Amino acid sequence: MSEFYKERVYPLIFMFIVTLVCIVLTAGAHILTFDLAEANELSFTRRAILDAAGLPYENTTIGIEEEYLSSISEENGYFTAVVDGKTRYIVPLAGPGLWGTIEIMAGLEEDLTTFSGVAIVSQTETPGLGGRIEEPWFTAQFAGKKGPFTIVEEGTSAAANEVDGITGASRTSEFFKNLTDRASAEARRIIEGV
Amino acid sequence: MAKSKLRKTFMEPLGKNNPVFVQILGICSTLAVTNKLENTMVMVLGVTFTTALSAWTVSLLRKMIPSRIRMMVETMIIAAYVILVDIILKAYYPEMWKQLGPYVGLIITNCIVMGRVEAFALTNKPLPSLVDGLASGLGYAYVLLIIAAVRELFGSGSLWGFQILGSWWTNWAIMIMPPGGFFMLAIFIWVVRETVMKEVDHA
Repeated sequence: MSEFYKERVYPLIFMFIVTLVCIVLTAGAHILTFDLAEANELSFTRRAILDAAGLPYENTTIGIEEEYLSSISEENGYFTAVVDGKTRYIVPLAGPGLWGTIEIMAGLEEDLTTFSGVAIVSQTETPGLGGRIEEPWFTAQFAGKKGPFTIVEEGTSAAANEVDGITGASRTSEFFKNLTDRASAEARRIIEGV
Repeated sequence: MAKSKLRKTFMEPLGKNNPVFVQILGICSTLAVTNKLENTMVMVLGVTFTTALSAWTVSLLRKMIPSRIRMMVETMIIAAYVILVDIILKAYYPEMWKQLGPYVGLIITNCIVMGRVEAFALTNKPLPSLVDGLASGLGYAYVLLIIAAVRELFGSGSLWGFQILGSWWTNWAIMIMPPGGFFMLAIFIWVVRETVMKEVDHA
């Protein structure tokens, strides 16, 4: 009996208690920080929308919220912002990357062709190479330009349809170009229902 | 006496019993995260925290843990601490959490954590176990930070995100990719063993 208890029952009870304690601790921490994590997530999305709209904001949770609530209006499946009397349209887009899906917010001027900005929502490209699409210089170069784009060597883009590729990440650059090239048609489909 | 032993426990993982360049443990993350100094810092803090506290917890329970299920218990405790790190990062350092992505979860599989728990914490008291875990984490930390500094400098021309080298510098893409990690780790181990470790061996 005692052998049975020591070899079979005790390990089972012990493991059960350890598991229970671990679950209570982690679940507790999760619940305690849930609102904060949700708020962060929302703030990231809002910041991406503001970036795509080309609007300036103070980079704090409160700064983002204020600017977002005062300038962005949410429509069915897209967002709009009025800048200097003209409407800008921000549409969410997703497409394949090298490893996973790249999700972006594409901001377009009234003509639905010229970019007002581009912002990454999520991506899983190679850190340090394709992952550099998150760097501000890369996304900033789309503002004021029109697709379809031609990728040129890093640091050499000049014309309105040229964008710098990322050295060492030709494939990611190509995937990103394909995604932005679709923005105009995709925006028309979402906004005008064409 | 007890104090000098504790000191030895603390110093060994930093030098002649270093988890990375002597025991060659935990090198998977050495390759993955060391292409940027910032990511590396968060990773090593996570590993140090997890190693120290899991070792301490396991040591507290060491007389109660049935030996046949000890690995399950250890993994459970380690996983709980890693998830706590993940939750805290997600709530309070969201930018960092976003950048590190899956790497935080991978601390669970870092062999240093399991290694120290198995080799030290199961047979030692809580305080020495905590010190051993902490020192192992720190021994891992400084090696990774050195490798990351070199890789980021040559691979991106920057340190901690600040541009150091001018536009004349051509980034070595290989430094940022996993092979760069292999090369740097190998060079690091070679240099340390040829210089510092040799003296220790003779003394």
